[in-house]
Amino acid sequence: MKLGNYQVKLEKKLKVTGLEAAAISTLAIVIALALVSLIFLKAGVNPIIGYTKIFSYAFVNKFGLPLTINRSVFILLCTCAFIIPFRAGLWNIGMAGQLYAGGLGAFAVALAFGAKGPQNLDLSPGIIIPLMMAGAALGGALVGAIPGFLKGRFNTNEIVVTMMLNSIAFWLVAFMIKDGGLFMGAGGEGEGFKLPQSLYAPQIMGGPFTILIALALTGFLYFMFARTKTGYQIKAYGLSPSAARYAGISSYKIPLLVFIIAGLIAGLAGYHLFAAVPGVYKITQNYGDFGDLSFYGIICGLISLGNPLAAIPIALLFGGLTNGGRYVQGELQLGFGIDYALLGVLMITLVAFQFFFRYKIVWKKLAKEKKNV
Amino acid sequence: MPIDIKRGDTVLEAKGITKRYPGLVANDHIDFEIKAGEIHAILGENGAGKTTLMKILFGMVQPDEGEIFVHGEKVHFKSPLDAIRLGIGMVHQDRMLIPAHSVIENIILGHPSAGNIMNLKRTSEEITEICAKYGFNIDLKAKVWQLSEGEKQVVEILKALYRGAKILILDEPTSALAPPEVKKLLASIKIMTGDDLALVPFITHKLPIVLTVSDRVTVLRRGKITAQLDTLDATENGLAREMVGRDVIFRLERVEVKKGKPILEVEKLSALNDKGLPALKAISFSVHEGEILGIAGISGNGQQVLAEVLAGLRDATGGKVLLDGVDITRSSSLDKWQKGMGYIPSERRDVGSIGDYSIAENVMMNYYFDDELSNWGVLDLKKIRKLTEKIISEYGVAVPGPDTLAKSLSGGNLQKVILARVFSRKPRLLIVNLPTQGLDVGATEFVQNKLLEAKKEKAGILLISEDLDEVLSLSDRVAPIYEGEFMDIIPIEQARREDIGAMMAGFKHKVAAT
Repeated sequence: MKLGNYQVKLEKKLKVTGLEAAAISTLAIVIALALVSLIFLKAGVNPIIGYTKIFSYAFVNKFGLPLTINRSVFILLCTCAFIIPFRAGLWNIGMAGQLYAGGLGAFAVALAFGAKGPQNLDLSPGIIIPLMMAGAALGGALVGAIPGFLKGRFNTNEIVVTMMLNSIAFWLVAFMIKDGGLFMGAGGEGEGFKLPQSLYAPQIMGGPFTILIALALTGFLYFMFARTKTGYQIKAYGLSPSAARYAGISSYKIPLLVFIIAGLIAGLAGYHLFAAVPGVYKITQNYGDFGDLSFYGIICGLISLGNPLAAIPIALLFGGLTNGGRYVQGELQLGFGIDYALLGVLMITLVAFQFFFRYKIVWKKLAKEKKNV
Repeated sequence: MPIDIKRGDTVLEAKGITKRYPGLVANDHIDFEIKAGEIHAILGENGAGKTTLMKILFGMVQPDEGEIFVHGEKVHFKSPLDAIRLGIGMVHQDRMLIPAHSVIENIILGHPSAGNIMNLKRTSEEITEICAKYGFNIDLKAKVWQLSEGEKQVVEILKALYRGAKILILDEPTSALAPPEVKKLLASIKIMTGDDLALVPFITHKLPIVLTVSDRVTVLRRGKITAQLDTLDATENGLAREMVGRDVIFRLERVEVKKGKPILEVEKLSALNDKGLPALKAISFSVHEGEILGIAGISGNGQQVLAEVLAGLRDATGGKVLLDGVDITRSSSLDKWQKGMGYIPSERRDVGSIGDYSIAENVMMNYYFDDELSNWGVLDLKKIRKLTEKIISEYGVAVPGPDTLAKSLSGGNLQKVILARVFSRKPRLLIVNLPTQGLDVGATEFVQNKLLEAKKEKAGILLISEDLDEVLSLSDRVAPIYEGEFMDIIPIEQARREDIGAMMAGFKHKVAAT
């Protein structure tokens, strides 16, 4: 293409550095914000005020910040649950079902220790909380193992299986917490029983300890992909299943393994959400909304290109924007879902700008063309 | 576009074509001209800049500098469509055909005169006429997937001719063809030049063919023209020297190694191909220490299936495979690697390597399972790096370093990496499938010498090749394969080229005692 005296060309890039990727993503965010400010203007709101309110509530306000962090940790865990199969070239669309199963697993353990009772019941958290986490991990891993096994053994489409399992797990939770189900709360309002105070997850610096677990898991995953034998095999399988088979990497074990780990982590997201976030401590009536929220894990995973460390800031941003956007909608009395608009535009720009991960634009001054007759 | 072309007219001229890529000059001021009725072969090793030049001539890539003249007029190709309009046709090595469609449907696909309603009758008459003229024999109603490689190539040529091509660019026209198909193709090519078409074959190997058919030869090395001469003045060794930049040994020194005990024993092995049809029919043979058993055959006669079964990538339906006397018929491929088997697949890019992995990571494909290279499951990246650097320098792989991505390597360099990686494990048994296919002269020589070296070190080698010359010059025994069966297993001293060629085509000849 020619622009005046310049020749503009697209050239393929072989590799993109972390710094470049961060710069490109930041630019995408800025452009998304600029685009959405048009919506603010249309609604008669000064975009600067709108954004100030969103960001200050999401990241500064003492009520808003903890909400942001809890939500971001949830999204981060779901992102990890997406990333692991993603690196093996497989799509986990089943974080919702896996986290429901995780919630059920955690509360099953609590129930087994007689936690369904008055709020002041005195149980020993030192034993029961780790077991609840184990229950959550196990529940998630079991649901995760199903698509992994079917994929490895029969080459079944994992997207279909995980999506179906979402529905199954959704109704299983309904069965357990509603209409006289085993986990039904005392009030019978269609929600699960509340944990006694003694089983509330311990707080560290004002937030549940699951924050640290999420960060540690993310770091561990990064290390696993960068340095370990298992990570090497998963990536090889993801890049080229036939070459992986040639190298003796099992095309049965890898899908099974990645889906078990993914389910395990999504199960912990369920524990975090229902048993560790302050003020909840039960499987809530609107648990389905959180299942929907888990799909942000797919978006974050895709934007971070499967890099767990890159997923941390993205999960934080998404957690903050859903939170701040919802707040500002009430605060400024906007007649529409500004949080969804903002996230929607943001997703599009982030994905669109990944074009520059693979291509660069080259400008070259044209030499005066010689006439040659 | 009625252009009156007379024999000997310059139809295409390139002046000072230059194309730079980051870090290399693919074409450095290339000048040449092509005349009507002439076969002008462009020779060069992989990475010499042939592909870039070919793409420039066909409008797929735009040069940074230089000019192209077609029929004396300066042209700018923005896309292949411009080139096609000016009568340039290209026959790709990777076939650009739709397998589920018939021959005629493929030929008219994208043709300007093919509107929404196809006049198949008229078209087929026209194509039949072209076929008759140039001696092509093909069933226009056959589906492309049913065709052999040679027939597919004919379809590509017909496609270009039907579009009115006067200049035909042929990418490695003989590389995938069986000997009889090559003969037919060359005959047709001769008729075409008689009709004042210009043909431009691009070739990396098979120099004798170049010498028999072409009129002029241009040799490229590292993006520059190193020689341009009439074929009459050319010799095989001279051309090879210009291509590689040094003398090439065409006759390999066969090393005599005392045959040891059997390493691989195969008894009545059977297996199915991807379509579920029997591809191996109760084959029995053995490979001994210090021996190369060459399997000669035209592609699709069960060689690929045999290699895959032995490598553990495909299940056997019957029979037994013993490695050093241990039954490994049902062992996993990982198990086979650990027991000292090495496999060099024919699909270098899809099976033998991972394009988005670095060279170091590709080397790990055969090493990740070794305890020496990891502690508690954590890979020792330093050791892997050292190993990779050693391999790169020993095998003369021309790359910046171990972090280079495999997809950026040329075919020859990639094969060197794969070979080095497998050979460095010192396998007892090597299964080598089409090791030199598509490689240039220099890389071929290198690969063949490495095979002989491995033989000297007492490895048993099963060599699968479609190149009869290669099989005859390397093997100690030759097994012609036809439709999943060995026609015979012949010691090299008694192997006669004609007999083996006949057996590859399915005739059971007894070799006359000499």
